[in-house]
Amino acid sequence: QEEAQAIDQELFTEYKFSVDQLMELAGLSCATAIAKAYPPSSFTTSQPAVLVVCGPGNNGGDGLVCARHLKMFGYEPTVYYPKRPNKPLFEGLTTQCQKMGIPFLPEFPAEAALIDELYGLVVDAIFGFSFKGAVREPFGTILGTLERITVPIASIDVPSGWDVEKGKADGLQPDMLISLTAPKKAATHFAGRYHFLGGRFVPAALQEKYALNLPAYPETDCVLQLT
Amino acid sequence: PIPVSSGQAFPLPSLPRKQPTVLVVCGPAQNGAIGLVCARHLRIFDYEPTIFYPKRSPDPLYRDFTTQCEKMDIPFLSYLPTEVQLINDAYNAVVDAVLGAEAEAGEGRGPCAAILATLKHIRIPIVSLDVPSGWDVEAGSSGGISPDVLVSLAAPKQCARRFLGRQHFVAGRFLPYDVQKKFELNPPEYPGTECVVALRAPR
Repeated sequence: QEEAQAIDQELFTEYKFSVDQLMELAGLSCATAIAKAYPPSSFTTSQPAVLVVCGPGNNGGDGLVCARHLKMFGYEPTVYYPKRPNKPLFEGLTTQCQKMGIPFLPEFPAEAALIDELYGLVVDAIFGFSFKGAVREPFGTILGTLERITVPIASIDVPSGWDVEKGKADGLQPDMLISLTAPKKAATHFAGRYHFLGGRFVPAALQEKYALNLPAYPETDCVLQLT
Repeated sequence: PIPVSSGQAFPLPSLPRKQPTVLVVCGPAQNGAIGLVCARHLRIFDYEPTIFYPKRSPDPLYRDFTTQCEKMDIPFLSYLPTEVQLINDAYNAVVDAVLGAEAEAGEGRGPCAAILATLKHIRIPIVSLDVPSGWDVEAGSSGGISPDVLVSLAAPKQCARRFLGRQHFVAGRFLPYDVQKKFELNPPEYPGTECVVALRAPR
């Protein structure tokens, strides 16, 4: 977890990347990976409806970017974003989604069965690699519901609620994991069908410094399928 | 989108030189800044970009783009050789990010004039970003540079009708639908998750 934070720090302080830049590239990777694994034609719901659950931090921001690109790719995303930071970055991303006609739910569906009926996929953009400690409401209840749905879950970077290094045997079991920059230790516990790598912005020098040993991305793709 | 389309137009294995070198010429304003972003992505895609950025913008965002490129070990030339053969020999292609749609008609004659004069005579392909630099954004140009590839940003500009090169890409997938409708853009369908789409070449 510290390594991931150190890499991020270097990208911002040494390389002068802005959070906006990297978040846009990360969110685009997530949408691209989802489109490869779950093309719109594969949905059994009448529209390719996707529920994107966004948490209170950067993982939630990645989710907002992802939702916007999913819309561009022909999906019908809906966002649930209960805790919104008062920062221009997140306000901007929210506006961009709203202006694209992406609905924001006022309430989280109370029953897992309702989610299964309405959506063909759920994107878990609740907690990322900085997550530590206890899960605060409303996310505890949300995760509880998500643990009972049968439609696939695509988690951004780390399955929410998992310990970033050790995983969580009785926690969320996503079908897809999109690891950003490099897989986190918890990814060794990932048991779903699709593991993608995204966030193709790490300069070669940083990859070497942190011995990331990333496999090569194909051509100009922004994602790489690991499994 | 621009580096992706540059990558599509010249896939790595097809480049004639042993090293996948590309010269990215950046002007002083937004078009140049897009060139910097393009150069960075080309580097991630394993090309070897070199940048010529003689007049640097004071805009903090664009200065950060410059830092990102420098930290990725992308060399910045201190001058552009006037001997075109040197450019032809050293690089596989040139990305023209000198002037964009917002450029005034006269800018092609000012400080950028020398650069454009050199670019007019090179033999290697040119990829122009949004508007071939030096062209009038509506009328096009006679006697200006002749790019091989044009990447229109958001939507093609009027001068794109005069484009005679091999490939014309549009990078406009980020435009919200209401903007597209308001300006009656009628963009083509983008394949899959691609952020650029090739328009039919004029010939």
